[in-house]
Amino acid sequence: MSRLLDRIFRVVTGACAFGACALFLGIAGTILVKGLPAIDWQFLLLGPGEQFGSGGILYQTLGTLILVATALAVSAPLAIGLSLIQTTYLDSVRAKRRLRLAIYTANGVPSILFGIFGLILFGQLLGWGKSWLAGGLVLGAMILPTLTVALVERIEALPTKYLAAAAAAGLNRSQIVRSVILPQTRGGLLAGALLGLARAAGETAPIMFTAAVFSGATLPSGIRESPIVALPYHIFVLAQDSFNPAAHSQMWGAAAVLLGLVVLLSLLALPARLRSAEEAHHG
Amino acid sequence: MTRRLDPLRLASWGTSFLVGGFFALMLMLFVLQSLPVFFNEGVGYVTGKVWHFRAETFGVLPMIYGTLAVSAIALLLAGPIAIGAALFTSEVLSSRKRLWIKVPIELLAGVPSVVYGLLGIFLLRGWIYQLLEPFDPLSGDTLLTAGVLLAVMVLPTVMTLSDDALRSVPASQRRAARGLGLTVSQTAHRVSLPQAAPGIVAALLLALGRALGETIAVFLVVGRQDNQWPETFFSLRPLVEAGQTLTSKLGGSETFLAYGDPLHWAAMIGLALVLLILVATLTLIGGRFTTAKITSGKQP
Repeated sequence: MSRLLDRIFRVVTGACAFGACALFLGIAGTILVKGLPAIDWQFLLLGPGEQFGSGGILYQTLGTLILVATALAVSAPLAIGLSLIQTTYLDSVRAKRRLRLAIYTANGVPSILFGIFGLILFGQLLGWGKSWLAGGLVLGAMILPTLTVALVERIEALPTKYLAAAAAAGLNRSQIVRSVILPQTRGGLLAGALLGLARAAGETAPIMFTAAVFSGATLPSGIRESPIVALPYHIFVLAQDSFNPAAHSQMWGAAAVLLGLVVLLSLLALPARLRSAEEAHHG
Repeated sequence: MTRRLDPLRLASWGTSFLVGGFFALMLMLFVLQSLPVFFNEGVGYVTGKVWHFRAETFGVLPMIYGTLAVSAIALLLAGPIAIGAALFTSEVLSSRKRLWIKVPIELLAGVPSVVYGLLGIFLLRGWIYQLLEPFDPLSGDTLLTAGVLLAVMVLPTVMTLSDDALRSVPASQRRAARGLGLTVSQTAHRVSLPQAAPGIVAALLLALGRALGETIAVFLVVGRQDNQWPETFFSLRPLVEAGQTLTSKLGGSETFLAYGDPLHWAAMIGLALVLLILVATLTLIGGRFTTAKITSGKQP
């Protein structure tokens, strides 16, 4: 009886697991089958054509890269500072718990709210209109909690003997940070950064009000009224015009490029992530 | 003495206050800019069932209903499958084989929402339409469609975090249970699941937060039909009709339309505030579960 139950347990949970994996393969497969035929060098290296939805997606790709680079450049130093406060500089257990809860809450803020806030702050109050910098800053704020959580977890997973040894050697906290914590958690920072980049690259909601336009922009030259074209927003607009078959090939091609970019970034982050998870498990 | 002048420490505090200020400003601006609509509508803003911006009537309840409906569908569909998958990876598989499941799931978590939306438009919408054919649907854009799409999107979140929770149960306890003659499923049921339960609840709450706030994918398949308040909650019929969620409203063109009109604008920002409060409350409740686990359950 219990043997039979055991068998059923294995089969049912196994079906769930393989079903979930099949979902990913199905999604990636569909996008590739529909998108790959559209992709060639011209598609990747040319600007838009004359007609709606024709030509290449060079500027959309560059726009996305500019946005995520800005986001990372802004959020990485902030995340390091925040994670050091959480793990090292705060003494009171209570304050630590509160800060942790605040970081987790910030991590849960929906991306559209960053977009709306960006519209108010940069578009309305600072008068930037649509600007690549506003988009980059908003995306940076969005990935900041993710990055901070990744860093905090990595720092907390450090063997206590490292810290004890450094403290015993008479180092003060900032010296410990410089000589032990930061060097030992470089992998975690890298993994967090790659994951943040992957997340920022695929987001549409934060940039649709703050930075992105569908056409008429190439590379940004200033800050005010300096919009940008970007892959996710491009796909978003084309998808809503779903009855126009002419734009379909560009849409699926752009989706394949975006998915490829995101999967590549996530895969690069994977080894460091899995390693830290295993260490935490056996540690 | 030297502590106070320590640049690294100062910089860390500086950045933290900057970040705190940013998020405080976000909350403050949402509250300030939505004030006019609360003065105008009072509690009716949250309990009103009609939204007609031309008549300057702003009631958010149908959108709260839409948001909760799609999120509930998503969790009901994704929850069991994700927890089942997590049980398989944590209790049945060896640690090397586990990667073969975990890697695709991690990648699934990274698929951009606009890609999900695209597949929703071109595949799921048609499937749902065919499925509903006997009920004579108006289109494939329904709350159900958005819910199913969201289910796929939150599945990796629930699965990964449940797996983490299950695997934080010490391996020695599993070995002890197996040594006492319990089977794998009995061990999961009696040993692993009870201890991992708070973590799994937290995973579900976090996924619920994600589902409530997801915009782009929902926007593309939910139909964006205003004022869909169900006549009865004892029928599934409203779920197979088009609807509107807080996020699909915010993501639409009405946000730009409202820009010049203070009251209409306030009503839109009010949506953002309602969403923020919903999600923050959930996260805080979820945080209770995880911090309880961290402080009470971590024995060597």
